[in-house]
Amino acid sequence: MNYKKAIIKQGITLHKIDTNKFKTNLFAIFLTTKLNRENVTKNALISSILRRGTMNLPSQEEISKKMEEMYGGSFDCGLDKTGNNQVLKFYIETVNDKFIPQTKDDMLKQSLETLLDIVFNPYIENNAFKEEYLAQEKNNIKQLIEGKIDNKSRYALDRCIEEMYKGESYGLYKYGYIEDLEGITARDLYNYYQNLISNCKIDIFVSGIIDDQLDELVKNNENIKQLSERNGEFQKAELNNKKNTEPKEIIEKMDVTQGKLILGLDVNLSNEELKYDALLFNSILGGSANSKLFQNVREKANLAYVASSSYVRFKSNIFIKCGIEIENYKKALEIIKKQIEDMKNGDFTEDDIENSKKGIIASIKTIDDEQDTQITFYFGQELSNVPISINEYIKNVESVNKQNIIDIAKNVSINTIYFLRN
Amino acid sequence: MQIIENLKVKEKLYIEKLENGLTVLIIPKPGLLKKYIIWGTNYGSNDSTFIVPGEKEETVVPEGVAHFLEHKMFEQESGINSLDTLTALGVEANAYTTNDHTAYLYSCTDNFYEALDEFMDYVQHPYFTDENVEKEKGIIGQEIMMYDDYPEWQVYLNTMKAMYHNNPVKIDITGTIETISKIDKDILYKCYNTFYNPSNMAMVICGDFEPEKILQEVKNRLVKKSANGEIKRIYPDEPETIVKDKIEQKMEVSQSLYSIGIKDVVADEKEKVKRHIAIEILLNVLFGKSSKFYQELYSDGTIFGTPSIDYEFTNKYAHAIISGQSNYPEKVYEKFKAEAEKTISNGLNKDDFERIKKKIYGLYVKEYNDVEDISKMFLADYFKGINSFEYLEQIDLVNIDYTNQIAKELFNSNKMVLSLIKNK
Repeated sequence: MNYKKAIIKQGITLHKIDTNKFKTNLFAIFLTTKLNRENVTKNALISSILRRGTMNLPSQEEISKKMEEMYGGSFDCGLDKTGNNQVLKFYIETVNDKFIPQTKDDMLKQSLETLLDIVFNPYIENNAFKEEYLAQEKNNIKQLIEGKIDNKSRYALDRCIEEMYKGESYGLYKYGYIEDLEGITARDLYNYYQNLISNCKIDIFVSGIIDDQLDELVKNNENIKQLSERNGEFQKAELNNKKNTEPKEIIEKMDVTQGKLILGLDVNLSNEELKYDALLFNSILGGSANSKLFQNVREKANLAYVASSSYVRFKSNIFIKCGIEIENYKKALEIIKKQIEDMKNGDFTEDDIENSKKGIIASIKTIDDEQDTQITFYFGQELSNVPISINEYIKNVESVNKQNIIDIAKNVSINTIYFLRN
Repeated sequence: MQIIENLKVKEKLYIEKLENGLTVLIIPKPGLLKKYIIWGTNYGSNDSTFIVPGEKEETVVPEGVAHFLEHKMFEQESGINSLDTLTALGVEANAYTTNDHTAYLYSCTDNFYEALDEFMDYVQHPYFTDENVEKEKGIIGQEIMMYDDYPEWQVYLNTMKAMYHNNPVKIDITGTIETISKIDKDILYKCYNTFYNPSNMAMVICGDFEPEKILQEVKNRLVKKSANGEIKRIYPDEPETIVKDKIEQKMEVSQSLYSIGIKDVVADEKEKVKRHIAIEILLNVLFGKSSKFYQELYSDGTIFGTPSIDYEFTNKYAHAIISGQSNYPEKVYEKFKAEAEKTISNGLNKDDFERIKKKIYGLYVKEYNDVEDISKMFLADYFKGINSFEYLEQIDLVNIDYTNQIAKELFNSNKMVLSLIKNK
């Protein structure tokens, strides 16, 4: 495996991951822009309308046929909220020529060109997106926003984040807002799109068996030639220095069988290096089957099937998730709070630390064996304040000690308790 | 060891059936750090009536035992849970239960052999007590309730209930709070002793291994047990007809969920892989992303996401499912039926067929990217009597005439059901 970066133009970066571990080549283009209330819905619409067609393949049907022709190439797009950034993600995955009966196709070139075409050469009529496509995609986004309630666990987490970050960009829903949709015209959206691709940070990833011509292929691509240099500003990861306030408690009702409990915690850090300590803290608290939450909420009290926590590096928050019997709300909450207190008091062992390190390191080591995880990791480094390699990452995890974790625990506070019940 | 090579994906499979009846499948992946092992028993939620080898009487156990057993296997006499021991080694351990098999697994980069000690030890040493069985009822109860809140799971299960009169595929893998309340340690031991015999089990290992060496390591850790006789499994007779053509449930959802089920006949042993491939091609031509069906329903706002297409089968049942979300699910169903009718009379378009065949080939190749996907696939296929490479070989044999013939057999309007979850 060999990872290299090349600056195509200022603000446009090509990331090359040369690896022969996979049967496929994976291509990704990420457009990163600041997340704000004004543009969140437009970005969602852009990500959705670009799937509809290009000047060369003017309909979704033609894009799909092209992908199928390329031995089940898959085209996919997504929208992520990464800290205070909104990231529009576009992927094409195709089988490598080595595993295809006739090898005259040059799948790498075709895949890359198709993906660039989808993102940078959309189907345009009269200087605007096609009216019909826009109307359909507005409807699509509307359904996505309304569909928020369908996955109750996910909904509870989204609601907790919304409450924690009320009035701030991270509290925004990534698919935007229904009330914004109507006012967006096909021309406005196209103008906005042109502005977006002229200013946003662009990252192009290619992972697989790469030939030497890749840099040239990208540089000489007509779509890339059209793009100008840019600052490509984005918001870096935060350390989360919030004042300790009384935890907010929010209880809402919906038609659920099981209660969904979410706790949003602030992890205040004085510098970036402490994120590895926070990672260890989270792992011992709720990151694995050995964690305090799993052991105490599930195995000892038998209150839940799911009892875990995860650390959001970009915002330095921890989210605790539990699915419980509604009447057990107080009991579960008490046990969870006790686990956080115990962490502050250093009530965990050297073994807990060692075991957590092993788990984290094992998952870091497998990054290069999973093609999409690999891209996500390198993109995370790209947006981070202190980009590091996988080996440095492992070293940082290894160097965390017990006192470091207790220091983190002392800077952890419950921000919001959210409970979804019937 | 028997070695089977596939030149298309350039992978090799090593198979050995040990003296005690255990089958070990090894797929070496030189250069990868990630290692994966999965050990399964051919015993799932469908096996609730059986005759223990050597006995005469039928044994009937409550619904949800296979899954309950899976949860309890981690418990050890020492009081230390094996899941904790494995996690402490930095390996990622898990287990799952399906209709026809139960599997235990872990993936790791380091400590593979230390983990193998614990892994093979716990699967071979059950420890059930009244107390530890009781406590699990609370945890599984929450798992059941979690699934009750998943509309996708409910719409699926209802499809099974509409299609099957008696086949246990229609019951929930976890059982219900009521059925699991009847489970005790004696039932668990009886099922363990019957189904966790090596002759009823298979192991798949994938990663950077020397096949002979890893096989020896596995043998060294096997507890002496001899192969037992045949387990007679008793499944109720299942008529070819469906139960009802429509089933509806209300939940709090943004738009309706639909699932169209088509009850299929169980294919002949020799033909099952070929039939499966043909049906995958057929359904993808008709309802996939480039299909008229999808394009038209997308354009008029009836559906947004592409429908999921699945074909599931064992030697006791077979069905196809097309599912998704829509505000006008009845319209989706009408259009589905119209497409099916049209295909019966006109057959598939040649270009569409060839294009989708390429797509399906590519999807099969992609299965070989990840040690986890490979291992799970070989295990699940093994219990169906299939070597996963067969899909890559037999796709060449599937032509348009054969697929058109299968379409005529599959699309029988008397065997289609519509399951809906509507908003309250």
